[in-house]
Amino acid sequence: MPGSKSIVTRLILVISLCSALIFTVTLGYNYTQSRLVLEKELENNARNLALSLVNRVESELVSVSKVTEGVARSLETGSYTEIQLHSLLQTTLAGNQGLYGSGVAYEPYAFRRTDRLYAPFYFRKNGKVSCIRLEEAYADLPYFYWDWYQIPRELGRTEWSEPYFDDGGGNMLMSTCSIPFYDQTDGVRRLKGVVKADITLASLTKLISSVKILKRGYAALFSRNGMILAHPLKESIMNETFFSIAESRHDDSLRKLGQKMVRGESGFVLYKSESGARNWMYYAPIRSTGWTLAVVFPEDELLANVRKLSMTMAVMGLGGIFLLSIAVSYIARSITGPLRSLVAVTGVIASGNFDVELPSTRSSDEVGVLTNSFRLMIASLKEYIRNLTETTAAKERIQSELKVATDIQASLLPRIFPAFPHRAEFDIYASMDPAKEVGGDFYDFFFIDEHNLCFLIADVADKGVPAALYMMVAKTLLKSEGQRLGEPELILSYVNNILAEDNDNCMFATVFCAILDTRNGDVRFANAGHNPPLLIASQKTHYLSLQAGFVLGPMPDSVYKTERLTLKPGDTLFLYTDGVTEAINPEEQLYGDDRLLHALKEAPKEKLSDLIHCIRAEVNRHANGAPQSDDITMLAITYRGVADEA
Amino acid sequence: MNIETFKESATTVVKVTGRLDAVTSSEYEQKFNALISDGETIFVVDLEKLDYISSAGLRALLATAKRIKGKSGQLFLANIAGPVKEVFNISGFGSIFPVYESVDCALNAVAG
Repeated sequence: MPGSKSIVTRLILVISLCSALIFTVTLGYNYTQSRLVLEKELENNARNLALSLVNRVESELVSVSKVTEGVARSLETGSYTEIQLHSLLQTTLAGNQGLYGSGVAYEPYAFRRTDRLYAPFYFRKNGKVSCIRLEEAYADLPYFYWDWYQIPRELGRTEWSEPYFDDGGGNMLMSTCSIPFYDQTDGVRRLKGVVKADITLASLTKLISSVKILKRGYAALFSRNGMILAHPLKESIMNETFFSIAESRHDDSLRKLGQKMVRGESGFVLYKSESGARNWMYYAPIRSTGWTLAVVFPEDELLANVRKLSMTMAVMGLGGIFLLSIAVSYIARSITGPLRSLVAVTGVIASGNFDVELPSTRSSDEVGVLTNSFRLMIASLKEYIRNLTETTAAKERIQSELKVATDIQASLLPRIFPAFPHRAEFDIYASMDPAKEVGGDFYDFFFIDEHNLCFLIADVADKGVPAALYMMVAKTLLKSEGQRLGEPELILSYVNNILAEDNDNCMFATVFCAILDTRNGDVRFANAGHNPPLLIASQKTHYLSLQAGFVLGPMPDSVYKTERLTLKPGDTLFLYTDGVTEAINPEEQLYGDDRLLHALKEAPKEKLSDLIHCIRAEVNRHANGAPQSDDITMLAITYRGVADEA
Repeated sequence: MNIETFKESATTVVKVTGRLDAVTSSEYEQKFNALISDGETIFVVDLEKLDYISSAGLRALLATAKRIKGKSGQLFLANIAGPVKEVFNISGFGSIFPVYESVDCALNAVAG
């Protein structure tokens, strides 16, 4: 079964991974872009919010300073009795709900000559307006040493004090707007005193915290020195400055931010709170007091929507990928399902069972085509195997028939040696090795009368079955005519004429035919195109030179001529077919006449069987494994002479 | 074995190269049968480059000669040499075919 490398697994893996990648990139891009857009919008919102808050605080402060200014101008232009002054202050406080306190502090003896110091102060206490005399209330430090008195007096202009705890006076954290006023009598401008109006930090805190900024966002107010004036953390108010916080946190960026605020700059920054949360802050100066208002937005709250959206998208995307995987798996299985069943069936086919039923195909898709191809392949394989079986059977039948034919052909040639155990006048030995199952070579020997032995060797053109059939005819004719005619030239002429009739295929045989007179060693012989035999005599071994004569078979009326030689006792005639001299080795070199002559000179001659086997071995050695291309036939005869009568 | 043919007026010259044996003789016969079917009747077979001829080759030579004779044609042999000449001498084939020293001689004989 296919494992992790199966098409289904690979499809799911590749498609899911690709879509996950695409989805992640899209989601990431969407998130960052949304964030960028949001940050821009946030900056705008923050600026607007901060500026509107600044405006509200500013207008509050301006209204206070206007009121103070009004009191101061009134005191400069008119001459007020003590009662009138008190009434003015009381009315001023009552008419301005934003005010916490309102008062006037005179230069020594400036109000009246009897009193060195005079500073009535009206303020709200438990919902009612109370009045105290600051020259008495400030037990430790006379009022003209206080910042709210001294600084405007020296600078000669309206001044907001840094927030302070009005110990003995209002007894509140407050900031005071002070304006000096003058006496213009006699054309000389002399300072008469300072008008003051107070607002409590609590009222400012209330003012700026009335604006809701997200869930956890807030606004904060810092003094000119970076002191915290308004903040959700009440305990840090008037206790910490921007710089003390930076110091305790070892945060240089916070210090730099504080410096910017002190310089009266505005800006939008991202900073980390003590808990590590990321916050955006917009800060802007309040011009009239030199304070800084900051609006803080927690980042996670800002991005909550984007995060929520991204999470929703991620969940939807994962769900989508999951659904996609299921769909891909379904499609892949619907594709590979038929393939799997086809694989199972083809496995059975591969094991040799061609009768297995292929899965039925409904679709005409690739799998359907493949299945049909398999069906066709099985059909042709079956057909092929049947043909092969038949052919093999036929071939085996032919083979067995050829085997029988080989035996018959071999049995037709005289092959029992010694062939004539009672004849001491000669020895004869012969052998025939067909190149194929049956051959076209043959030899024969037989007595035509009591003393004359006919022996012959022949080679039918070509080899195999046609040659073997022709050989049967030729051999039969040669033997019957040999016994009848008893003369080589007659035998060959007669047999030739019989063979030449109806020889359309131009089959022919070369024949060397000889008759030995056992009484004296005389040999009469005639040749029909056969290779010349060798004479192995005591002094010399040589090829006989003889008249060629045309081969037997193709042409009627060929003429042959009987020649003669006499064998001395011990002389041997060696007859062979061209299978001997034309045996080739792998280099396609012929064995040749010269090698045969040489081998015969060297071969043992006592026993003819040894001689022939020796030559056969020589030829084999020469062939060196090359297949035998022609029948190899040899016949040797040795004349022993007539035994002494005595 | 390789067989090349070319026409010299009415005569077809067939040049046989390599070995003419049991394996190649059927090809030789087929080639000649095709030429005879095309109407060729006069042939000069150039055996100069023939390295070896077996008895099957001789039989093919005879069979084609007989077929050509049946069509009242003529077959001339030229350039028989070396081992082939020996085989022709031994088998007596040299005496039954008109054999010439060269293709030109054979062509002259045809013309004469």
